[in-house]
Amino acid sequence: MESASVAAGAHTADDHDHHGPPEAHQSSRIDRQTLGILLFIITEAMLFGAFFASYFFLRVVANEGSWPPEPFELPVAVAFVNTLILVSSSFTMHWALESIRAGNKRGLQMGLVTTLLLGGTFLFIQLNEYIHVGFSARDDAFGSIFYGLTGLHGAHVFVGLTLLAIATTRAFRGHFGSDAKDHLGVEVPGIYWHFVDVMWIIVFTTVYIL
Amino acid sequence: MIQAALVRPGWWRALAYFLIGSGFGFALVIGLRAIAGLDLFQTEQTGYPHIVVPAITGPLGFLVGIGCFDYWFRWASGAPTIPDDHADHGARTWRDYFKVNTDHKVIGVQYVCTTFFFFFVGGFMAMLIRAELAQPGTQIVDPGVYNGLFSTHAALMIFVFVIPVFAGLANYVLPLMIGAPDMAFPRLNALSFWMLPVAGALFLASYFVPGGAFDAGWTGYAPLSTGAPLGQSFFNLGVQFAGASSVATALNFLVTIITMRAPGMTLWRMPLLVWANLSTSLLVVAATPFIAGVQFMVLFDRVLNTNFFESAFGGDVISYQHIFWFYSHPAVYIMMLPGFGIVSEVISTHARKPIFGYRLMALALIGIVILSYTVWAHHMFVAGMFSWLRVPMMITTLLIAVPTGIKIFSWLGTLFEAKIHLKSTAMLFALAFIVTFTIGGISGVMLGMIPIDIHVSDTYFVVAHIHFVLFGGSVFTIFAGVYHWFPKMTGRMYDERLGRVHFWGTLIGTWGTFVPMHWIGMEGMPRRVADYASEFGAWNLEISIAAFILGAVQLVFLYNMIVSWRYGPKAGPNPWRAKTIEWQVSSPPPIFNFDEIPRVVGGPYEYGVPGARHAIMAGEKAEVKPPERTEAGIGAAS
Repeated sequence: MESASVAAGAHTADDHDHHGPPEAHQSSRIDRQTLGILLFIITEAMLFGAFFASYFFLRVVANEGSWPPEPFELPVAVAFVNTLILVSSSFTMHWALESIRAGNKRGLQMGLVTTLLLGGTFLFIQLNEYIHVGFSARDDAFGSIFYGLTGLHGAHVFVGLTLLAIATTRAFRGHFGSDAKDHLGVEVPGIYWHFVDVMWIIVFTTVYIL
Repeated sequence: MIQAALVRPGWWRALAYFLIGSGFGFALVIGLRAIAGLDLFQTEQTGYPHIVVPAITGPLGFLVGIGCFDYWFRWASGAPTIPDDHADHGARTWRDYFKVNTDHKVIGVQYVCTTFFFFFVGGFMAMLIRAELAQPGTQIVDPGVYNGLFSTHAALMIFVFVIPVFAGLANYVLPLMIGAPDMAFPRLNALSFWMLPVAGALFLASYFVPGGAFDAGWTGYAPLSTGAPLGQSFFNLGVQFAGASSVATALNFLVTIITMRAPGMTLWRMPLLVWANLSTSLLVVAATPFIAGVQFMVLFDRVLNTNFFESAFGGDVISYQHIFWFYSHPAVYIMMLPGFGIVSEVISTHARKPIFGYRLMALALIGIVILSYTVWAHHMFVAGMFSWLRVPMMITTLLIAVPTGIKIFSWLGTLFEAKIHLKSTAMLFALAFIVTFTIGGISGVMLGMIPIDIHVSDTYFVVAHIHFVLFGGSVFTIFAGVYHWFPKMTGRMYDERLGRVHFWGTLIGTWGTFVPMHWIGMEGMPRRVADYASEFGAWNLEISIAAFILGAVQLVFLYNMIVSWRYGPKAGPNPWRAKTIEWQVSSPPPIFNFDEIPRVVGGPYEYGVPGARHAIMAGEKAEVKPPERTEAGIGAAS
């Protein structure tokens, strides 16, 4: 994340400007890091789009009978509980961000740690589901796309958790401040985390409910 | 000494980390298989996880070793970041071009040189293909090798030449054009570049694995690709690296264009090259993930034995083509729109006239972006897809000719009654582009019509069309761009005489090669086959001779570029007397582009408009008051 260079707190580039490039003119109200992550989210959404396209081709075109196909069953109740866990982590993320906006570093740390724990729990339950679900990615196209979609999402949870872990480390070192430019390192991973949550709601609805 | 070399980012550390990465991947696969009690080496036709996984982790190790991630790792570990001393910015010797560099100008040159390297490798493959096809029967390569040749030729040309060379040219000139000191994310920019040689190396490495190079065409249709030998996995992975590179660059361009324009550079004052890269980047950001996704699925089918495209287990073969073309049709505009931008710059500058219909030119780009998402299935008229989708796809395909036609006519309008500067090789290529691309566009309209498409599907007519638009279209604009900005990039002039030799040779070679392909295609000569019916022998011999001329004159180009870069006469800051900002700084530009960000006061193409200014540079006295114009200096048609 390029936000790094800005969010690094004490180490801004003020003291050596005369060696460096001129300050770029800011021609838009949105800052680079936020715009960057939003565009990246479009890319990510389209990557999910490729797998959703595959999902609907398999479901509607190639397998016209019942869906899931005959022997397969999905543990909807477990996944629903898991959904609640992940959704609640979006709120704790928001709590963390609001805390640092108010200059509350303790709240930031607690919010981030709670988010990390909730996200980790989600991944743990997901892996547990994989072990007990009773079929593998090799069992029919249904198995392939089930693991494809949920696995792709799981990979995104992992990436999101990595970003949050980095933010948490820095939060405990006191690198963030209440000015908008001093907590981009929380805000940007936070936006990504909300995206991961929203994407899970879509994946859950499509794969488990529809 | 050795220790220091392994700690410092650079080629030695890259080699070490590449080996460590590959070894880690290998050990991971073997270890997991041992734990699971499987055979250690899975060498059924498509598997080879002990080669595929190191082919991912090795290149990642290379990228870490060369130094793309050093800053991020330091930041991620929570360590205080070192204030940027700009030591990795700008090139002082030629060696600096072989290091990770965050200067957009250095990255631009790195991009262009790397991509042209792959252009010559891919071109050499084309020469082998034409040598084989010069006579009926098989003489030079056997049919299997031939399949590998045309597949790698296309993959190299598309993924590591045409798409990234535009990113390279724009990398160099776009920040200058909009008055930005650099790209928005310079480190991401460096990473984008370094993923490119990785992608090309993976494509080429496929020649050295069991089963030979990937041979399912650049389209890699399932189930041909899911059952192909190991080389196909290298295609899947190469596309991932090239795709990640192009997405990261596109994101970078979008953020740069949106947030870093100089004061006064409103949207309607942006040069058309900037508009073109804005629209291309929109396409890349939203479409490229589709090819990434579908190549992942193929890779999973091959290595993990999933069933995405295995119809015996509920998979859907046609879905490959839908998802693939949902990227790959927009991709043809990714390969064309930046060229439109280059041609607009070149034509306006060398015709000394404002661009005709500037706003419509920009809007036509956006129109193409939107329409290009709605036409993907015209590649699949004979694939057995839903028959109801055919006619809508035909109509949208024909509709794309409208914004494209707007652009063609606007270029002609710009040229109308202009003082055309024919001495410049850049202008010659731009003019030849208009003619050649129009013909390629018209054969595209023909192919968009279902009955004709069914008749000429998988014949040389398709080959002729793609090469008219990709060679006569994209590559001509690339040459125009390289010649146009060569003085800016190197500070020296190229030899116009050699440039003209290159131009006429390329023009004659292109037409001689690809025009007859239309005819033999209509007659039914199939593409992608090493041998053909002897009735096509005469034309194929002519095509091969023309292709060899085409190949040979590219060596003239190479000679001209290398020698002029070293010994050419010094170019002033603005040899073409152009108005856009990149020409208002020295050649090559200063290390940080500007001492102070320029101020934009008018449109970019106000040639021949008395008193009109595009930008006021720092240090210049702003005594020239911008002319009072309601349209903020948009190039009104003379």
